[in-house]
Amino acid sequence: MFSRIAYAFRETWESFRRNLTLTAAAVLTSAVSLLLVGATFLIQRAFENLLVQWRGDVEMIVFVRSDASAEQVTLIDSVLRASPTIIDVEKLRYLNKTESYEEAKRIFAGDPVTLGLLTPETIPTQFKVVPLSDDPTLVRSLSDQYRTLPGVEAVALAEDEFEVISTLSNFIRVVTLITSLVLLLVAVGLIWNTIRTAMFARRREIEVMKLVGATNWFIRIPFMLEGLLQGLIGGVVSCGGLWVLNSAWTSGVTSFKPGTGISSLVVPDSYLTSVMFILLGIGAFVGAVGSAIAATRFLDV
Amino acid sequence: MIRLENVTKIYGTETVAVRDASFDIPKSQFVFLVGPSGSGKSTLLRLINRQEQPERGDVWVAGQNINELPASRVPHLRRSMGNVFQDYKLLLNKTVFENVAFALEVIGKPRHVIARQVPIVLDLVGLADKQDRFPNQLSGGEQQRVSIARAFVNRPLIMLADEPTGNLDPTTSEGIMGLLDEINQTGTTVIMATHDHRVVNAMRRRVIQLDRGVIVRDQERGVYE
Repeated sequence: MFSRIAYAFRETWESFRRNLTLTAAAVLTSAVSLLLVGATFLIQRAFENLLVQWRGDVEMIVFVRSDASAEQVTLIDSVLRASPTIIDVEKLRYLNKTESYEEAKRIFAGDPVTLGLLTPETIPTQFKVVPLSDDPTLVRSLSDQYRTLPGVEAVALAEDEFEVISTLSNFIRVVTLITSLVLLLVAVGLIWNTIRTAMFARRREIEVMKLVGATNWFIRIPFMLEGLLQGLIGGVVSCGGLWVLNSAWTSGVTSFKPGTGISSLVVPDSYLTSVMFILLGIGAFVGAVGSAIAATRFLDV
Repeated sequence: MIRLENVTKIYGTETVAVRDASFDIPKSQFVFLVGPSGSGKSTLLRLINRQEQPERGDVWVAGQNINELPASRVPHLRRSMGNVFQDYKLLLNKTVFENVAFALEVIGKPRHVIARQVPIVLDLVGLADKQDRFPNQLSGGEQQRVSIARAFVNRPLIMLADEPTGNLDPTTSEGIMGLLDEINQTGTTVIMATHDHRVVNAMRRRVIQLDRGVIVRDQERGVYE
């Protein structure tokens, strides 16, 4: 058993060295496409931070002053519920201080100054409002009405704030996703081609192996390992690239003027780590698929 | 040991390589397949080691109908056969020892078995002192001996030789034939395709003659006509 494993690794390494240029091309392509996949994840997450308070079709947020009394909050609630034809009462949600603070942590992830000014005591609480009607003027007239209620600090409309970014984020997501999928396919193709070339270079050996009764798996495994390794190395390279990109982005954003909203476009390290693991997984998978197709297709020599 | 029953092999849609061939080769027999190029000798050998499958008829090896063998069992079938070719099919980047060891390595034999078996078989073919040479440093006859060593190192039941003397001069051929005869004496069934009159006439063994894919003669202790 040991000699078989040793054989597989020795053969993999030999083949790797022999096809250095093709291998480099395959590794680089998978690295670039994986980097794009990773960037897609990060961009999406960053926009999500920005849009977190508008999640779930929320179009209007009524901010309640932190020093508002319980009666005032109840009053606002009842006023909101008094327009069931315009407001989706089912989806009306009140975020208390702790919940509002948790949300703020994400919005101001890259803006420690603003975040430092907020505490769970001083933060405004909020009503998230999902309108039933599509008519923006109706929602707007309601918002003017709510602004005058006692205890209300402000009323924010999604339309004014993040409509553009929301559309932009969708667009960017689609474009990067498609591009990275195409690039991943190219990576599979390149790995396929590298393995095919490696097999062609060794067709005589493969022929002898088959004639002396080596099993197909025995012949195939070194090639599949080779492809898997190419994808995995591509994954490692892309992780490095992603880390560099994200570090540069984070330091760039934190030096931005606080309170512009840009500062929420920062991704926490824990998320970056999980994206990196995903990239390694996709890389290994892509490599294994490419080489498995090649190995199966060209084993009939 | 090997039995063909009304075997027909067609390449593509038209070319009939073997037509309705039947024969029975008992264990330890030495058989020549003779006939001009393209008469179907090589195809018969390829049918026996299942590099090809017939359109009609059955091929039996060691009591098994090998056409009904699932693909996953074919490697095990091949381990009971040694193959020798006109062009040796040696791996040029490996030494004599490594070429022979390769055959054991790729079927997963442990290292100590390889270390024991390879010198024995190299000694048998008379190349014990050349085990560290590369194929390019050997004469044609010596290269063929390496390929015979590789085919025999696993002690197969059957040896299939496709024109093993095709590239060799008469004297060297004689040596190779002596070696194949020796292997046959150990109980190995040997089937050799050839159009070399001299070796066939010298050996006087069973001769199966083919002409355009049809068996036209099957004779004990025959000669090449």
